[in-house]
Formats: sequence, structure tokens, C-alpha cells
Amino acid sequence: MSDTLTKAPPQAPTRPWAKIIGTAVLLVVLVLLPVLVGSHVAYLKLAQYVLIGAVGGIGLTLIVGQAGQLSLAHPFFLLLGAVSYAVLAGDPAETPDLVSLHWPPMLAVIGAVIICGLVGLAFAPVAGRVRGIYLGVASLSLVFLGLWLGQSLGILTGGTGSGRPPPTFSLFGFPFSNTTPAPTIAGVAIQKQQRLWYLFLAFAVLAYVLARGAVRGRIGRAWRAVRDNEAAAAAMGVSVARIKAGAFTISSAYAGLAGVMTALWLDLVKPDENEFTGNYSLTVSIAFLAIVIIGGLGSVPGAVVGAMVVYGLQQFFLLGANEFGWFAGAQFGGLSAVILAAFIYGLAVVLVVLFEPGGAAAIGRRLAASLSRKEQR
Amino acid sequence: MDTFIQLVVNGLGKGAVYALLALGFVVVFKATEVVNFAVGSLVLFGGYLVYVLRDVIGWYGAAAVGIVGAALVGLFIERLCAAARGADQNSLALLTIGVDVIITEEIVRRVGAAIPFIGDPFDARPILIGNVAIFRTQAIALVVGLVLITAFFLAFRYTDWGVAMRAQAENREAAALMGIRSSRVTATAWLIAGALAGVAVLFMATQDFSGAGLGRGTHAIALIAFPAAIIGGLDSTAGAVVGGIIVGLTESLSAQYISFDFSKSAVFLVMLVVLVVRPSGLFGTKELSRV
Amino acid sequence: MIRGRSKAIAAGALALVLAACGSTADTGAGATGAGGIKTDKGVTDTTISLGIMGDTSGVFKNLGAAINAGNQLWVDDVNAKGGICNRQLKLEVVDHGYKADTAKTLYPQLEPKVLGIVQLLGSPVLAALKQNLIDDNMTAAPASWSSQILNNPNIMMIGTTYDLEIVNGMAYLQQQGLIKDGDTVGHIYIDGEYGGNGLLGSKYYAGVHKLNVKEAKITSTDNDLTNIVTGFKGDGVKAIVLTTTPGQSASALAANQALALNVPVLGNNPTFDPALLKTPAAGALGNLYVAASSAPFSSETPKAAEIAAAYKAKYPGSPLNGGVDVGYVEGLVWQSVLTKACENKDLSRAGVQTALKSLNSVKTDDLVAELDYSSPGSPPTRGVYIAKVDAKAEGGLTEVAPLFTAPDVAGYKAPFQK
Repeated sequence: MSDTLTKAPPQAPTRPWAKIIGTAVLLVVLVLLPVLVGSHVAYLKLAQYVLIGAVGGIGLTLIVGQAGQLSLAHPFFLLLGAVSYAVLAGDPAETPDLVSLHWPPMLAVIGAVIICGLVGLAFAPVAGRVRGIYLGVASLSLVFLGLWLGQSLGILTGGTGSGRPPPTFSLFGFPFSNTTPAPTIAGVAIQKQQRLWYLFLAFAVLAYVLARGAVRGRIGRAWRAVRDNEAAAAAMGVSVARIKAGAFTISSAYAGLAGVMTALWLDLVKPDENEFTGNYSLTVSIAFLAIVIIGGLGSVPGAVVGAMVVYGLQQFFLLGANEFGWFAGAQFGGLSAVILAAFIYGLAVVLVVLFEPGGAAAIGRRLAASLSRKEQR
Repeated sequence: MDTFIQLVVNGLGKGAVYALLALGFVVVFKATEVVNFAVGSLVLFGGYLVYVLRDVIGWYGAAAVGIVGAALVGLFIERLCAAARGADQNSLALLTIGVDVIITEEIVRRVGAAIPFIGDPFDARPILIGNVAIFRTQAIALVVGLVLITAFFLAFRYTDWGVAMRAQAENREAAALMGIRSSRVTATAWLIAGALAGVAVLFMATQDFSGAGLGRGTHAIALIAFPAAIIGGLDSTAGAVVGGIIVGLTESLSAQYISFDFSKSAVFLVMLVVLVVRPSGLFGTKELSRV
Repeated sequence: MIRGRSKAIAAGALALVLAACGSTADTGAGATGAGGIKTDKGVTDTTISLGIMGDTSGVFKNLGAAINAGNQLWVDDVNAKGGICNRQLKLEVVDHGYKADTAKTLYPQLEPKVLGIVQLLGSPVLAALKQNLIDDNMTAAPASWSSQILNNPNIMMIGTTYDLEIVNGMAYLQQQGLIKDGDTVGHIYIDGEYGGNGLLGSKYYAGVHKLNVKEAKITSTDNDLTNIVTGFKGDGVKAIVLTTTPGQSASALAANQALALNVPVLGNNPTFDPALLKTPAAGALGNLYVAASSAPFSSETPKAAEIAAAYKAKYPGSPLNGGVDVGYVEGLVWQSVLTKACENKDLSRAGVQTALKSLNSVKTDDLVAELDYSSPGSPPTRGVYIAKVDAKAEGGLTEVAPLFTAPDVAGYKAPFQK
């Protein structure tokens, strides 16, 4: 696994101008996105969706890429995160038949993330016993477990029929829903979707920064040591069991946050009706793996790129189909937006493994290297 | 008591088909240490060929073409894996996932609104013995399975190819030094996995077995072969058979005596328990790490 | 240094943003259009636009295509007679493939263009859009008949709900002497809004008639129900009730025959698809009774026959199933609502709501039983069409009891009924 994965980040950057300006422009665009999008709120929903994929993808790339533990259990933790948020922040007045603890929403988000981390920790001993691909398949069983628990624990989840509404997020009394009057930025009303965008952006930036810090720090080095050669790592004094446990905890915490974001995005917490279609299904397992491979195993910025490809393309095609009439032949067995998007990311996975196992991250590094070489001439 | 017997009959019948699929996994894993996540698409491809050709060249002809076709897709995937130089086992497994996504989507799209059942000669004609119904598809699957599995055991033990496979599984470098062409062994392993999938689909896309024709459901059933292979041990052919039967019986008995919706989780939970107790499966060889 | 620069630029961006901040004045979105009629979205002086959020590429594409066609046939008929409120009708069609995520992304594109939604297919889609419908005061006619959704004021239920379909069906079976008080029946249901709602009906009927219901919960992708029917046989059931998908129904019916159980099987509208008649289970379908709120495709009710003929003429080769009647009924209900709203001189979204709640007897030329919308939370009607599978009938079903309303339905209290 070591050749194809992200190596430790390089130490001395050459000339940082391109990077600074690029980052700055990106930040400005992200912060001003609601203004740029204007009344085409659908594209804002798309961007929010990509951020969900990014947060989940970062969590998965940490455990699969950096720590070398194959996990297919992400959807289970997404479900757990969404349900935990709904249970912790729920208002008993609105949902009298369901368990609702009416915590303040921000606390509920933190609580949901912690719960997911703890459950991930509980699964970690399995990773101690079971290795490699066996671990991947073992983690699949969590997805099925999630399906069954979601159906059976209706008093927590609301059942697969109508689920339960996620409590409206609010911070210090500022609700993330439609209000009149609403604040505006450059004339664009900042209502629910715009507010959710900023919330998701904050979550995503936090997730990104923390992950980069972990990768560059001691934790990252310990993970990579365990990934590359467990026996050697143990010989060097790394507590392998503790590192694996830590990796599971962190990745499930990330998945839990992505789950909370899913609940807020969908305006619904509802366990799936079956194991293949739905927000917490095997299809999502595979989508996250695709995000991680396409982005480059272990690369945090790569996970964001992967999320754009896997989560973003499909929604983008759908919007295009609606607005511009793409894929008009789909009704009669032709190519529809969903199918084309699936083809693209399946193909991307194959191409990445075949030709650039380091994924988008490796491609990015090569571009950056060739650019800086050009500057130096 | 009748119910129990009927459930056991149901379980054994389906178990035979799971064993066939699991055998395909094991053959590939023994030769290459790669887990084939694309088994669902091999099944769908073979089935699709049968569906499209059976009105043209008759069912038996179409079935033969389907088996060969699935085998060739297996070979294609093997060539892709060979082309991915320097990729480790996990990356190759992920490669098979990518291929699986593409093939599955395309076939499901082509099948479209139809519900193609392809078990024509033997589907939906059960044999009633006393109070117990034996589904013809299942019975034939059992017989075919037994024949194929026995053929495999004999081949592994007595043919050159079998020896080469076992040698490569044991120690790839030593086998290469002894003149065994690794690429040939790998290619035949994938061909066989594809062919087995092509045989299995003839029983899977039937009213008796799955109640559904060729479609996403068939792909889903192939997924159940995972726990079957894992329970037995990914590098044990005997394990594949045992695993398949365990999975079939767990499915049918837990559906009745616990609850139907639990039966799917039951299969995976049994797998989890087996893995925790014996991390390499019931009959798999333990992984030793070299320092 | 690098970090500092990035931070500075980010701060600059935020400053820009803050400088551009303001607040919305409370502008009303309404306007007054031709004829002195109040309008907001989706209505111009010459057109009224209605939306479809349907499934023409996912698991329900056969049904979805037929319902879309039914909607369109209705629009054509209305426009030919001069439209409503001197305006022509127009449809905006969206396909979500039965995926809640897709629907959620596409809804914001549709919403500004339409007055209301004439067809919303899919319970997961409806669940995901529930808040959106309330936020935008958008009224929608769902192609979903669960009484669990009647607590949503923006829903226009266009027929009998699943629970009542089952109550009526079981009453019919008992009337035909196929089951009697004290029998055991099995009910296979998909966990969720559809299947679970049907279960409420069978449990209610069982309570009244002292039947013993054996429940079997499945997911929407389980396809082999042999083990369940095996269990039912051991329990000695005298009938099987299904609230499942067509493929699953076929599996249960095939097992029913293969295991020599051969009891009558009751399903409702979504349990049957004429495509099943071309599968190996075709021989086992004779035991199935379908109790549905709308007429089967081959119904001899005059309006149904007229629609069937128009459908075959305009969409030759398209799947023949009851969806086209569903689509037409959705349209007819909207027609009553829009006509009333026009009388009230209010074609805004709020006006649609007011008009809807004032209607207590909407007639649909007997395509469904008469509808009453004046008690939100209560199913608007309680009658069904009972049909049996018939390979020779178009659409695979022949009706045996049109507009059947059992006495027991009056006593059933739906979950949100006041």
C-alpha cells in the first residue's frame, strides 16, 4: 500500500505565491457563493451536498489512506450521526412519540459526533483481530446492522415510513431557517439554504484544517507507520492497537458530522427502506470509497476533489438535464444523468488505479511541481 | 416439523448457488490475493447474454454463450489488474469495484423495464414430495454444484494446472522460479470465476430462487456470496462450500424463527462472529506477517 | 507568513461581505393578474403552470410513465375545452428516479415556475420535501395513498388510503366466503409508509372480526418470499394479504402455489403490474385480488374506457397499467380546486389551499369514489375498486366489484383523523 499512497507532506515549499493567491480566491468565492448563485438556489444545494461528501470523504481517507484500515462502514456512522442529532436536539412538543432531549442544536451536533466516535471506538477491537480485506467485508456488516436497527428502533429513528424531522439548527438564537425579514448580502436574501451553506462551510473548513493538522503531525506519522509495517511500528514503540482505535474513532466522528449535515440538507432523518438505495446504503459505502480513491488515498485535499467528482457530478448533470434538457432520451432507455454520473466515477476509479494510483492528489502535486519549475526558470 | 424441513430444503438449495459464487471468489483469491468485488457484474453480464440470445439460439445455446461471455469478462478484469502495475491488493480490489459499477449500471439500464427470468427449462415447476416442495431450480443447482465442486477438487489435486495453482497460492516467487507462468495461472483463475458466475446466474435469475429476474436484485444476491466465502475462508475451496451452505441455512431458518428482516443482518453477523473468532475464516490459512 | 496572508485575505473577503449586508424589506409576493384575480407564482395572464415530480427512470418507471401520461391527457382535455379561468394549463415535468436526494436538488428549480404540483410520486420523496412544501405553501397531489401523510396540510390525497383499501378488500373476501371470523391470515408488508399503512388496515379488520394476523416485515428489495410463505403454511393461514411491490407479490403467489397452499391473496394497487403476466409466476397469479382506490385499466366505467382509448391512441406501445387513471384523477381534483379558486378570485398558493379545504364533494366521473376535503387528517373517501387478475384483460385486471365500500370502513379511525 505504501507506494501508491500519500507520502508524508513535503517540508519546504518553493515559491508560495500561486498557493496563497489560489487559496485566497477560493475563500472569497466560497464565502460569496450565495451571492454568485443568486436565485438559482439549486446550485447552492449542490454545493452543500459536495461539502457533505467532502467531510465524510476526509474521514474515510484518514482511516483507509493514512492508517491503512479498509472500512466500508461509513454509512452506518452517517445514520448514527443523523439519528443522534435528531434525538439529542429534538423537541418533545413536536415529536411526542419519539425520544427527544431538546438540547441546544450546537451541543447536539457535538454530542452526535462524540457518540459516533465512541461507537467507532467500540468497533476498533475487531480491526485488531481482522486484517486487510477481511476487515473491509467485516465492516460491511455494520451497514446491514444499521439497516435493521434503523427499522426496529422506531422510537429513536422515526421508522422507515416517514422518519423524523431534524430539529432546526440555530446558534445563539439565530435560526437557520427562513425568516422575515432576512439579512441580505449584496441584495441576496440570506435565508435557510444560504445559512446552511455557511454552516456547512464552517464544518467543512474545521474538518479540513483538523485533518491536515493530524496528517502532518505525530498522529499522522504513527498512522503511516502502522499502515506500512505493523511489526516495525510496534518495534518502534507505537501502540498499534491504540492507533487503530484512534483512527476508527476519528473517522467515525467525521462520518457522524457528515450524517448531521445530511439530516440538515435533506430536512429529514429517515432510515433506509433497503440496503441498496438510500442515504445510508451500500451504494453510499462505495461512493465514499470512490471519493477516496479518486482523490488519492490519504490525501485530505484529494478527498475534497473526489467529493466534487462523485457527489457533485451527478447532481450537476441532473440540474443540467432539468434546465437545459440534457439527456432527453433517458425516458426510453437512453443515458440518464444518474447513469452517466455513475459511469464517470466508476471509470475514474478504474483509471486512477491503473494509471495514477495516487489519485487527484498525485496529479495535483505533479502540476504544482511543474509550475514551480517553470517559475524557477 | 414440516415447516422446518421445508426451510432446510430451501436453505440447502440456495446454499448450493452461494457455494458456486463463493468458489469463484476463492479461486481468484488463491491465485492472486485479490478480492473480486465485481462478482455481481459477472453474474449480470452472463445473465444478460442468456436473456438476449435465448430467443435466437435456444436456451441451451444461450446459456453456453452466457457462461463463456462471463468468463471472458473475468479475463478482461484480470488483464486490467495486470495492467495496474505496482498496485497492491487493496487497490486492485477497489479497481474491481470501479468495473462493477460500470458494468452493473449499463446492464440494468439495458434491461430497463423488463423483468427477465432466464431459468426457462426448469423454473417454477416444483416437485412435491409429501408435504414438502422441492424447487426444481434448487435441485438442479445442487446437482450441478456438486459436480462442479467435485471436478474442482479433482483438478486441484491431480492436474498440472491444479498443482500450479496451489503452488502459486503457497509461494508466488518460488512457483515462478519453478517455471510456473504466474500470468497463466491468474488468467485461468479469473476465467473460472467468470464461468462459475455464468453458471450461477442460470439458477439465480429464476422465480424459484429469487422471485426476481435479472436486475439489481441479482447483483444484490451476489453480495451474499461474500459472507459465504469469508466464513469458509477466502483461500479454502472446501470452505467455500461449507460457507455457502451455512449462509443458505442461516438465511432460511432465521427468516422464520427470528424474523425475516433480521435474516440478512443475521448472515452478516454470523460472518462477523466467525471473523472475530477465527480471523481467516473457518478453513482459511492464518496470515503470518514477515518481519 | 503564508498563513498570515491567507488570513488577511479571508478577513478582507468577510469585510466585503459585511459591507454588502442589508435586510429584506417585507415585500409581498402577490400581484393581481387578468380578470382581477390574485396570483403569485406559476400563473400568468394566459397560463397556469403545474408541476410533476415523477419517476420515469427509477423503480417505478412503468407506473410513473403512465401517470405522467394521465396528467397530460387531462391537460389536453381541459385546454381543448378552453382551459381554466381563461388560462391554458401547462405542465413542468421533473424526473427524480425515486431518489429523495435527487428530488431535493431539483425541487428549487421547479418551485418558482409552478402554482402547485399535480403529481408527486414516491413516499421517500414526499418525506424529504415535506418541509419544502410547507415553507413554500405548495399544494401537491401525491401518487401515494398512505394515511400517515394526512397530517400535512399541503397534501391533496386523491383517493382511498392503503389502510382502507385493505379493510375493504378483506371485507370483500369475507363476503365471498373465502375467510371467516376467527381465521388466521398472513400479511407481508414492506416496512415503511406504504406497507406499514396497509398493516394498520388488516389489524383493524382483524380486531373487528377476531382474525389472527401473522405479520412478516420485509424491505423493498427483498425478492424471495418463499421462506415467509413456508412459515405461513405452517401457521395454517386461510388468506395472505400483501402490501408489497409487484415482484414480491409474484414471489409470494408463486410460493403459494408451489407449496400447495393455494389460499386467496389480497393486494392493493401497487402490488400488481401487468408485466408479471409474462413471467414464470404468471400461472400462479389467479389467486390475487386487487383492492385499489382507482379503476383498473380495463374498467368498463365509461370515463375509464374513454381514457384508456385516448392513452392507447396518443402513446402507442406504452405500458398499460392503472397509472393513467391515477394521473387523470389527480388532474380532475386539481380542476375542481382551480375552478373554485378562480370563483374566489384567488389563484395564489394560499388561494389554492383555501379552495381545497372548502370542497366536500369532488366528483371524478366515478374514476374514484366521491372525495371530501373538508376534514383535514381524514381520508377523503373510503370506497375501492376490487379486481382479479385476468391475462386476457388489458392491463391484466378485470374488475369484479366497482366502488365497493364495506360497512366496516366507517368505524376505522385513520392516524390523523380528528
